[in-house]
Amino acid sequence: MSSVHLAFSSSAGVALSSLAEGAQGVIVEVRQVRGAHPVSEASVERLLSLGVTPGASVTLLQRFPGIVFLCDQTELAVERGVADAVLVRLRENPS
Amino acid sequence: MSCHIAHEHAAAASRPLTLRSRPMRIALVGQPNVGKSVVFGRLTGRYVTVSNYPGTTVAITQGRALVGAEVCDVIDTPGVNALEGTVSEDERITRDVLETDRADLVVQIADARNLRRALMLTGQIATFRKPTILALNMVDEAFARGIVVDARALEAELGIPVVEMVAVEGRGLAELRDALVRAAVPQLPPAAHASAAARAEWAHALTTRVRHVSTLSLARVQEALAWATRRPLTGLPILAVVLYALYLFVGVFGAQTLVKLLEDGVFGRGVNPASTWLFSFVPFPLVRDFFVGEYGLITMGVTYSIAIVLPVVATFFLMFGFLEDSGYIPRLAIFCDRIFRTMGLNGKAVLPMVLGLGCDTMATMTTRILGTPKERLIAILLLALGIPCSAQLATILGILGGISFAALATLFGVVIGQMILVGWLAARVLKGERSEFILELPPIRWPRVGNLLTKTRLRVWWYLGEAVPLFLIGTVLLFVLDRVGALVWLSAAGRPIVTGLLGLPPATAQILVMGFLRRDYGAAGLFQLAHSGQLTGVQAVVALTVMTLFVPCVANFLMMVRERGLRTGLAIIGVITPIAIFTGAGLNYVLRALGVQF
Ligand SMILES: Nc1nc2c(ncn2[C@@H]2O[C@H](COP(=O)(O)OP(=O)(O)O)[C@@H](O)[C@H]2O)c(=O)[nH]1
Repeated sequence: MSSVHLAFSSSAGVALSSLAEGAQGVIVEVRQVRGAHPVSEASVERLLSLGVTPGASVTLLQRFPGIVFLCDQTELAVERGVADAVLVRLRENPS
Repeated sequence: MSCHIAHEHAAAASRPLTLRSRPMRIALVGQPNVGKSVVFGRLTGRYVTVSNYPGTTVAITQGRALVGAEVCDVIDTPGVNALEGTVSEDERITRDVLETDRADLVVQIADARNLRRALMLTGQIATFRKPTILALNMVDEAFARGIVVDARALEAELGIPVVEMVAVEGRGLAELRDALVRAAVPQLPPAAHASAAARAEWAHALTTRVRHVSTLSLARVQEALAWATRRPLTGLPILAVVLYALYLFVGVFGAQTLVKLLEDGVFGRGVNPASTWLFSFVPFPLVRDFFVGEYGLITMGVTYSIAIVLPVVATFFLMFGFLEDSGYIPRLAIFCDRIFRTMGLNGKAVLPMVLGLGCDTMATMTTRILGTPKERLIAILLLALGIPCSAQLATILGILGGISFAALATLFGVVIGQMILVGWLAARVLKGERSEFILELPPIRWPRVGNLLTKTRLRVWWYLGEAVPLFLIGTVLLFVLDRVGALVWLSAAGRPIVTGLLGLPPATAQILVMGFLRRDYGAAGLFQLAHSGQLTGVQAVVALTVMTLFVPCVANFLMMVRERGLRTGLAIIGVITPIAIFTGAGLNYVLRALGVQF
């Protein structure tokens, strides 16, 4: 139920929540999500203010029990739904 | 180089020159955890609580600083991540400072490792059109990670002075003082003000221009520890070790060794016999009893508050400060997020909940860090209902630890079950929103001993200031109630419930009454009852369960009223009292029906 405008998004990223552990990428979009697990505008604002903004590089550190990722130099823990709101362009062969 | 010059210069840059007779006001603004409190302490020479948990600098602190020959007022604002859009209570406070004349000049403190984030805030601070300085703090940690910021280039781009510093070592503070005269209103491109997204883009582009990152070199041990504390496979054993250490330090060293030393030694052999002897010269029995009788101010009030409660509270705050400053507590939130979400909270609530194990009253105050009014209310309710404070915890461990593990497990099982049930119901019944879980994990670091001691000292002071007077008032109330016969009457009135429904000895009625005057006070009374062999195993479990669930102490109640209003405070009491009694009755019935002995 992620979002309708994901399919039409020109930035063509994948949700941070779908990344495997250790995967790296660059954020292309942070947006509100409606549906079963909505992500509010307030959360989007909070993410932006914490530096989770387009252009920032991310590494997914952990998926369980909650999602933990590194965004530039900041380590953040979020619930799964919030990670749906962050779209990432994967970096090829992270070594 | 005086503040006046700075002020005039600043005023000229922003708005028509105004002459003021009062000292210039400097506001320190910044994200949580960037070292604002340390800078404040260094500037003013006055110390504030230093903390590693994002969002704990709640209240505004003011101090005076001497810059050149000029006295300035420095305001330390709560840490903020944003000043626009939906803002938290803390952010509203900071915005208010920036909007009004409570700030003539703004010093933004930034974490040099996180320039992009800092610039997002700079963009928002700029909209208040006040003379500003950007202080890049923690350049030592940034350097350790291979991050170098070109401060001169940044100055040119922002149009404001940029100062690099290492606040904890006092480096860069002289430069900051010197830069005050050059403070200017930031000159940013329109993109920085347009929208959150445009600002993010601007901040990102600017960061790439002025920041250079060489090969990432995170300190190895820190990184490994950070990893281990958040993985379930290593994190849960680490949690078990931490809890055990907490138990050893607070439950054994604090609640047993130190308490014995103070209670039997200092008070049992020193203070109490001495004061009893002194008061034996007083010819009035009433006065004598008031100070050294059964409910005497010295023999009961002072003895309990200093000999029994203080060691537990002090050891707990020391340990808590250590866990907080090392960056461990936010990591716990990852593990608690799911269970807290069923109760309408999120992982962030772990801070007030753990703090509640030290003092529920103080924890009630820290619920302010939670995102929405609904979350704050649920957290306050659950703190009052289920989280035993350190004095109660000591009593529980002291009494039930001596009976059996099964007894302890029963109590905690029932209490945790009640919290989840009540939380689950509250989450559904109460109106309002839950906020989504987004939490910054500060780096794991070894706490600085100086900070730790200051912080513990401030908390213990706070506790003494709030608690000891209440202990004493409670004692006086007890004394009066005892004298006018009300204690007997109250106990008689409560007897049917206590002896019938709960199956407890009649003396417990009085202890439950005492428990309201001071939550841990009642606990201590129960302790004596158990030690004199007046409670069976089942009775001890039932009595302690009721006490844990029962109406909070007077101090906690007053704090609830202060935070959420009288009606809410009374409503919480109205909800908790029947829950405590009926849970106790149910437990008593079940345990007896099953013939449990412990
Ligand atoms: N390495 C380093 N640590 C710092 C520096 N400034 C502050 N700290 C530490 O950063 C933590 C957060 O500081 P604090 O003043 O509580 O931050 P605040 O939340 O912004 O008030 C504390 O543990 C400080 O000791 C610095 O320049 N270098």
